[in-house]
Amino acid sequence: MSYVSLENSDSFLKCFEVIAEDKSNIVSDSVLYFSGKTGKGFITATGGNTGIEVLAINVSMLTDDLTIRFQPSAEASSYILHFDEAEIPSKGDNELSVNPVGNNADKSHSSVCIADAARGKTISYPRDRVIRSLIVRVRKASLDHLIKDFDAGTIDAILRLSDGQAALSWPITFKYRLLLNDFMTEIVQHPFRELFTIRNVSMLMEYLLQQFFVMQKLADDGNGLSNQDTRSLSRVEQHLCLHYKNEFPGIEKLSRISAMSPTSLKTKFKRYYGETLFGYYQKNKLEHARKLLDSKIPVKVVATEIGYSNPSHFTLAFKKEYGFSPWHYLNPH
Amino acid sequence: MKFQDPDQEKTIKALHWQEFSLPVGLRAAVLKGTADRLDLPLPDFRDEGYTLSFINYKGDVRIGTGHRPEDKEYPASPGLGLMSIAGRAMSFRTGAAVPLAALGLFIPRDWVRLFLAANPQFGKIEQPLGENASILTCRLGRRQLSLISSALVAGGEKELPLLKLQNNALALLEFFLCNRHRSLLGVNPTSDIENEDDLSLIREVESYISEYYCSDTFTVDSILKKTYTSYHRLNFLFKSIHGMTISEYIRNKRIEKSKQMIADNVKSISQIAYEIGYSSISNYILAFKKVYQITPGKYKKQIDSMA
Repeated sequence: MSYVSLENSDSFLKCFEVIAEDKSNIVSDSVLYFSGKTGKGFITATGGNTGIEVLAINVSMLTDDLTIRFQPSAEASSYILHFDEAEIPSKGDNELSVNPVGNNADKSHSSVCIADAARGKTISYPRDRVIRSLIVRVRKASLDHLIKDFDAGTIDAILRLSDGQAALSWPITFKYRLLLNDFMTEIVQHPFRELFTIRNVSMLMEYLLQQFFVMQKLADDGNGLSNQDTRSLSRVEQHLCLHYKNEFPGIEKLSRISAMSPTSLKTKFKRYYGETLFGYYQKNKLEHARKLLDSKIPVKVVATEIGYSNPSHFTLAFKKEYGFSPWHYLNPH
Repeated sequence: MKFQDPDQEKTIKALHWQEFSLPVGLRAAVLKGTADRLDLPLPDFRDEGYTLSFINYKGDVRIGTGHRPEDKEYPASPGLGLMSIAGRAMSFRTGAAVPLAALGLFIPRDWVRLFLAANPQFGKIEQPLGENASILTCRLGRRQLSLISSALVAGGEKELPLLKLQNNALALLEFFLCNRHRSLLGVNPTSDIENEDDLSLIREVESYISEYYCSDTFTVDSILKKTYTSYHRLNFLFKSIHGMTISEYIRNKRIEKSKQMIADNVKSISQIAYEIGYSSISNYILAFKKVYQITPGKYKKQIDSMA
């Protein structure tokens, strides 16, 4: 088991020393690559001198659990945010039986979380998962400036609302998934790593604050969700996101996954994620299509790639979502 | 002396930069509106660093360097990003009605040091800016254009304005720099319009249009026959230079001309309509309204009451 313990003043690069110590890992240019024996993937730290530090973890097949602990310290005046996506590697077929997220959901479910560094925070990543995670340590001062825009007050107030747990967490949505995915594919090669990092962190903040306000509003209206519901819904959400290449699974299957009645699943999902089940599935699917188009893949191929049998159906759906057709997306003028 | 529009002063004043300070330490200025005649300087951030401006518009806009109108001008194209040293006198100029959207971004020196200087190529990117005081340009894609327009909407919104603006601005900045970076490495695909043949084709079509646009037998088809191009190809090229389709371009030319004829106050409106090539008056009135948001009759009255 790898155990990293970080003081408030420690740079994120310290992780490397601990993880790389006893293994044959390769460190270069603030990126740590796992060798085949200990897992696949990389960890990279950026932004050391910009006040917003980011540790990006993109690994699969870890042979050991990885735990990162931020020591509580009274003089810390920063927040720790982390955005995790943990999937169980697919075994080839995607029947419900091999998707046992529910069994140990507490330990592995994908979430976003914000915590006060003064109280410390422990994040652990179990082995045998595909993990994409961003850990951000940001100075309170730089965040407060953003929060001032909002009527709701500062993040401190947000944290105080959470009954002294000193951390708030929510399940992630497809926006985070896509962003994490993008981040991991580009970060190592990106020419302007600092700029790229800060842009992504800024976007994550936007998502986070939006989500926070939705949650806050739901709770205020007496529509807050129980933990049980939250877990069930995030299971459905995960299913929709991961199987975007397949047909829409249909309400019966989804209601079996969530162990909810179709009607309550529909209403609660809409309330929590702001989209209908199909709308959410479609949005995620088309976002994937857009990404493919960005990498100059022909429209026809994209359509097949994301599971459309007929390119014109894809074009129609794309147009409905974004207001212009894939062709116009590729040829803007 | 050219005709002066009574409302012109107002339109120009309405177009001003709205400034924001972004939490990451950048400053942004946004602007959106329609101008009849414009000499709009880049936002002045009164500090050392770089200015990066992104513009999108429909019509003809030139980039003037320097304060005086006789200074050198470059033709701009819709969906353009340009980078220059902050404080350099530069302005967007246009003589005809143009809907314009622009986003200016100021990057302070120390921000450059913190976030950009880590890339060794950045030195090469910024080198021409300092040495010959030139400007760097880059063409934007659909995605970037939608980033601009949603940033402008965010400027007027209550909820999440700064974050949204910041995210879009950062994304645009990243796009711009990566684009420069790729072209330094020589892997940028050359865009269609930088092709010499295409440019000369467009110039040829433009001169053809300006010669014949008032004739009532003039059609887009006749251009196609003359130049041996397909409609779609021509439209595509036109859009990338003027930001509008070829028929919109012709219409604007005709209406502009008719506006002058109305101001001269010699002919009646129906006469003008036929003379600039419209076969029916109602078509003409509709087209005029589309361009100037006012009917020609009302416009004429306005002029008369001014006189």
